[in-house]
Amino acid sequence: MPNLDGGHYFLTVLAPIDNSRVVEHDGMRSSPVHMVRDALETLPTALQSPATESIGLNSPFSRNTRTHFARFAVLDDVFYNGRDPADSIVTAVLGPSPILAQPVDSLACPYLLFVADFDPDGKGGDEPRTYLESLWDIMPRELEAVFRHCYGFDTVTDRAAFADFVIARQVETTMPFNDYWVGAPPLPSLWPWLLGPPVVAVLIAAGLVFGPPHILHAAPWVQILVWLVLLLGTVWADYGLVMMLGKRPFPAAPNATLPHVLKSLYLQQAFTRFATEHQGDDPATLRRAFAAFVEQTQPDNLAGPTQGPGVVRSRIGQGA
Amino acid sequence: MTEKLDLDDIQGNILRAYGGQGFPKARYVFFNVQNAAKGRRFVEQLRRRITTAARWDNPKQGRPFHRGHHPRLVDAVRAKGLADYPGEVRLTKPRVAINIAFTFCGLMALDMPTRTLREMPDEFIDGMERRAPVLGDTAYLDRRDAIWRNSHGETQVHILVSLNAEMQPDGAPVAELDAETAWLERLCAESEGGVVLLRGHGPDDASYQAMSAVLTPGPDGVPIPSNKEHFGFSDGFGDPVFEGQFTPQAEALRVVGGGKIDGDQTWLPLAAGEFLLGHPDEAQEIPGAAMPIDFSRNGTFMVYRKLHENVGSFSDYIAAQSAIYGRVVGIADPGQAADTLRAKIVGRWPDGVPLMNAPTHKDWKAFQARLAKATAADDKAELARIAADYVNFKYRPDPVGNRCPVTAHMRRMNTRDMLDPAFGSKNPKDWNGSVLNNRRRILRRGLPYGAVDAAAPSDAGEHGIVFIAYCSSLFRQFEFVQQQWIQYGLDFNAGSDTCPLLGNHDGEAKFVIPPDIDSDAPPFICDRVPQLVEPRGGDYFFVPSMTALRMIGMGIVDPT
Repeated sequence: MPNLDGGHYFLTVLAPIDNSRVVEHDGMRSSPVHMVRDALETLPTALQSPATESIGLNSPFSRNTRTHFARFAVLDDVFYNGRDPADSIVTAVLGPSPILAQPVDSLACPYLLFVADFDPDGKGGDEPRTYLESLWDIMPRELEAVFRHCYGFDTVTDRAAFADFVIARQVETTMPFNDYWVGAPPLPSLWPWLLGPPVVAVLIAAGLVFGPPHILHAAPWVQILVWLVLLLGTVWADYGLVMMLGKRPFPAAPNATLPHVLKSLYLQQAFTRFATEHQGDDPATLRRAFAAFVEQTQPDNLAGPTQGPGVVRSRIGQGA
Repeated sequence: MTEKLDLDDIQGNILRAYGGQGFPKARYVFFNVQNAAKGRRFVEQLRRRITTAARWDNPKQGRPFHRGHHPRLVDAVRAKGLADYPGEVRLTKPRVAINIAFTFCGLMALDMPTRTLREMPDEFIDGMERRAPVLGDTAYLDRRDAIWRNSHGETQVHILVSLNAEMQPDGAPVAELDAETAWLERLCAESEGGVVLLRGHGPDDASYQAMSAVLTPGPDGVPIPSNKEHFGFSDGFGDPVFEGQFTPQAEALRVVGGGKIDGDQTWLPLAAGEFLLGHPDEAQEIPGAAMPIDFSRNGTFMVYRKLHENVGSFSDYIAAQSAIYGRVVGIADPGQAADTLRAKIVGRWPDGVPLMNAPTHKDWKAFQARLAKATAADDKAELARIAADYVNFKYRPDPVGNRCPVTAHMRRMNTRDMLDPAFGSKNPKDWNGSVLNNRRRILRRGLPYGAVDAAAPSDAGEHGIVFIAYCSSLFRQFEFVQQQWIQYGLDFNAGSDTCPLLGNHDGEAKFVIPPDIDSDAPPFICDRVPQLVEPRGGDYFFVPSMTALRMIGMGIVDPT
């Protein structure tokens, strides 16, 4: 599966951290990975819980409306799963002796993981470049605090250099998670594709039976071999087709950009309030009120009124 | 073979709902242990007086079907001449039932071994105050009774001794209650500062939490204890039925509506391990518990939670909102609209008749008429059927909530088959019964406190309900229900809507009532539901078995 899926770009970045130095700060000496964690732990998250709402500092990612979700994490090392599994009877006979030490794998340095799920710019721009550049425009200080101890970050001085830096550390997202299709997307049937190889195989078989080679005159083992190759070839070709077609991105879900999502959250809350306040109204009053509601909320206008990014509610009833 | 419980080893308050079994009065007394050895001696003195779950002989038992305000399944069992309670008679029913429980800090103050203590569950170690964000209590911590606000250091709550008492004809508790209270005070005095009785209940700084069933005037003006709480609802119908709790004959009758719904849609008793430690539970395993196992086995955890009821707000809200409700859904009579709105919020009519078996006001009146007729004729078979109708229902016939709203209080608290992942399936082979509900059940044993002037209900004053629940995992059962089903609505496809009765209402709280079946009215949205219930404090307790209590008192808990 690709980075771009269901109309959203799923960015995965693994940036190695240079943990070989010591950072002097505020009269203390700390490891670089300690400083990365410090930066992450003081980076505000979105205002989506009573605790963060009371702090009131929103996530820097909410400064534009392109990021659906973003996450940072530090990968200190690979996880050690214990000794290689082996059958105890086989080991007793053939070795290796369980008291001989086995090597334990380890990473050369810690990595900073950055994953984000964002809207492509919609103008055919080169992604993730335009997204990363927009991110540098809205939160350069925060990005610097987080990435500054990664190898190669010293070359980052502007938006283009930041995009270069991140793209060089991008890995392919192999399992994006897309939650915006409310039903099954309209996908073309695979059957016309999958029928191709069997049809070709039948044609080849007919040629072999009725054509000049006259396979039926060949030695039995040759016949078995030929039919087997034909059968396996058909299965292999269909398998290849399924895998090839599966790599195509999912079609974009309708109305699934962040501005769409925010507008629909706003409308849902505004309409609930409207419905509550006009219970029992006569049809004429209701009609007039609904016309006013549509005029005020402008359902087709994504620009506003709408819910801001990084908050959990619109507070319609409280005049917000 | 179904489980046979060691009733003499289990404390009586776990199996018996004292409030409805002849003990309508209660005092809960709390202690701090300042010296471990003296504290253990205090426990040892109390141990001899603890009321176990053993079957007792009740000289005053009788008058089946006519004692309370509605027919009960226990009466249906007795009407057949069968025993309801299991085991052999070993006790005479006391005038005052005495039970004991400990907070985590209480066990620590009594010098329990570290290995035993550290195997206790996190939420029990935390205690109710530190679980405030989980329970939704944060905004109410400052409004708790002094005993809970001050539950730190030398005034920390360690031991709870509950006294559940019988009542005199004039509505006062029996004299023995005063005697037992004085005895507790004397034990404290004799402990020479080792054990201190903690004051601080209610506005008068009382030395115990008094509770009483709401008394209603009976014939001749003699007060009769009821199962009402101060909002005016009858309470306590949906208690779980689990293995070993009843005789096989009583279980067969009570399990319908009270047990769990199996995949083939039959009713079965819940596993005893959901309510008693050391027994197989609904995961079909014996869950881990603090060692040694005889310390945990036959014990359980208890929630003590004092809930103030804003009866004035409720009354005003129903009056204002039912006017709009009546207009929208077409109920002309204001009293009928108010009753229906109350019933939709709770899921039962004020007398406990469930909406699932009497969805409209007309059906309710028909149910009442049926009951009156059966009572007048003393028709025991019909009364038994009516008793069953208070609890016997599933939610599959009502997927949208046309009878009982999906987010009504009762439907949230005990979801029955509603959360079956195949709830909407037409094929009975797909159905999973109550599997997602079976591990969220609790035994409710609360009693109201204070009194309310029904003619002029007011939020001010000292009245509410002391919610008491038992379950073997506070986290999985009580806290889950509190956090996910009271303070949230996602499991019911209701977003952030909280329980209309017990939930926190932030000023914009709403409650959606789907229209009646065959009605073309739109759903009704109850707007800006006020805060109806406010926590006034409480804590989590461990209720040990008699074996464990002896081990605690003697100081011989050995986890090795």
